[in-house]
Amino acid sequence: MNQISIQNLDPTPFDLMQVPVLGPLFRWRYARPFLQAPLLLVSVAMILHGLFGPSLAPKNLATTLSWLHFRGVLVLVLLCAGNFFCLACPFMLVRQVARRFSRPRFTWPRALRNKWVSVALFVLILFTYELFDLWSSPWWTAWLIIGYFLSVLVVDGLFKHATFCKFVCPIGQFNFVASTLSPFEVKVRDQDVCTRCLTKDCIRGRRDATSDLVVIRGCELALFQPRKVGNMDCTFCLDCIHACPHDNVGILSRLPGTELLGDSLRSGIGYFSRRNDLAALAVVFTFGALLNAFGMVSPVYAVENWLGKVLHVSHEAPVLGLIFAAFLILEPVLLLGSAGLLTQAWGGVQRAFLPLVVRYSYGLVPMGFGMWLAHYSFHFLTGLYTIIPVTQNFLASLGFPFLGEPRWTLTGLPANAVQVIEIGFLVLGFAGSLAVTHGLADEDFPANALRAFIPWAAVCAVLFGASLWLIFQPMEMRATLMSG
Amino acid sequence: MVISCAKSCRLVWVIVAIGVGVCCHRPPNTSRGVTVEFQIKPKPVRVGPVVICFTLTDAVNHPVTGAQIEVEGDMSHAGMSPVFAQANEVHPGRYESPLSLAMAGDWVILLHGALRNGEKLERQFDVRDVRPN
Repeated sequence: MNQISIQNLDPTPFDLMQVPVLGPLFRWRYARPFLQAPLLLVSVAMILHGLFGPSLAPKNLATTLSWLHFRGVLVLVLLCAGNFFCLACPFMLVRQVARRFSRPRFTWPRALRNKWVSVALFVLILFTYELFDLWSSPWWTAWLIIGYFLSVLVVDGLFKHATFCKFVCPIGQFNFVASTLSPFEVKVRDQDVCTRCLTKDCIRGRRDATSDLVVIRGCELALFQPRKVGNMDCTFCLDCIHACPHDNVGILSRLPGTELLGDSLRSGIGYFSRRNDLAALAVVFTFGALLNAFGMVSPVYAVENWLGKVLHVSHEAPVLGLIFAAFLILEPVLLLGSAGLLTQAWGGVQRAFLPLVVRYSYGLVPMGFGMWLAHYSFHFLTGLYTIIPVTQNFLASLGFPFLGEPRWTLTGLPANAVQVIEIGFLVLGFAGSLAVTHGLADEDFPANALRAFIPWAAVCAVLFGASLWLIFQPMEMRATLMSG
Repeated sequence: MVISCAKSCRLVWVIVAIGVGVCCHRPPNTSRGVTVEFQIKPKPVRVGPVVICFTLTDAVNHPVTGAQIEVEGDMSHAGMSPVFAQANEVHPGRYESPLSLAMAGDWVILLHGALRNGEKLERQFDVRDVRPN
């Protein structure tokens, strides 16, 4: 498989900008705030209910929306469309308003212009989610949302451009990685138009002819459209679409996952194979999916109690830390390291070990996304209707009981039906990872593609087997991991 | 438009004040004279049928009879099916209700209903570490 054959499969991409209603909406200059405003209102409602509403998670908007509906809708939209959550991100609306009053003066330090900070924050969020049982606490969930708003205000209040989105936001990084598998990307329609373009407004911003002030912003994430490849670091903010004077940027369909192949120079990114930080993000994304699901099944408690006894530790944090280290460091090092060594040995590959492992680690992203989809869609679909009684209760508490008494018996789809969907997502992820790793092997070592592919296929199979095992484990919703 | 440093500071102070106010908020204590002694059987609690037992006594330790109490079991995670049952008074002031816990983990048992005098009763009890079968 190579780029040329992929392009031949899809010669005339479908453009979302040509769809009635959607196209004009996305072209509208105020499309983003229009989409952000409802989510901001919902966020405020979640914060208020989280702080002042019922302390029981199933009865509170903050926990129900955050841990069931938001996560479920997020992964399904990423799978079916693209990074539209970042487009409608309510945190950015607050940032925009704040920047009207105070403009940032600093540039993000060069040493931090990578994904290491956001990888650490991603891991930290996964860790605190387990340690403090965020899913069971409306109070802490509300504070997490408040913390997010404050972080955006501080980071983007001090630093220019979209620093928070590109270098800090853990949700954004999750979306960037997952959207490499989305069927749509923001892309130029005709490269020739860009070649003839003199102003490059998509990156510089459109300027007023008389005052020379920027009136429509260019890409704040440093993605120059003609050289942009795929969805990595793209927030679908529509700035480039609005700024382009030739109406040459669309939201085009593509074969999901193709951007994980190839290793061309990508605007704002560089080469995938040279980005150890991006590979680390892909690894945390993939192995974190299994870890996050592992935290909710019965065996985790047995493991924690065993570890606690062996280490004579009664505090949860060190035990949880060890489990995180096993999942996010030890397991990837063993699996990816073995696969890398075997690829070198069997495939007769001359490529250095680390760049080889970095390049193939992106191939595991579909499997990771399959697990995130399986996990989050389980909670979303089995608790689909719970938003109805929670909203009834919220409105009644505000003195507007017009939706009637909360019907707490409303839950969602039966778990056994949802399990079939979960298996489907895992199979899809496994197939995607096999396709990508095979594509990489085919690109790199055409003479020995199968030999180079087999070690990575084995890694994918191990992850697939572990994921299947996880979804068949009995769930156990415990706020206290280590029982006495 | 760029606002002055003083205005920025004032804005920060307002945000901090709201934050501190919100931090200090705690849900009100709903206890009102009636004491509820709660039990769940059998122990250790496992997935499946259990019996919720509770005794209601008033401020002078007399049993509170004739209460209409509904028992609700919720998981600590949102999205799980709650279970409901009506409690029966088996002795004066002592109530029991069968309940079926569908999943291992932490449960929260809610008692809601009304006393004979019409006064509402709302209580919440944690049932931690329900074991799988």
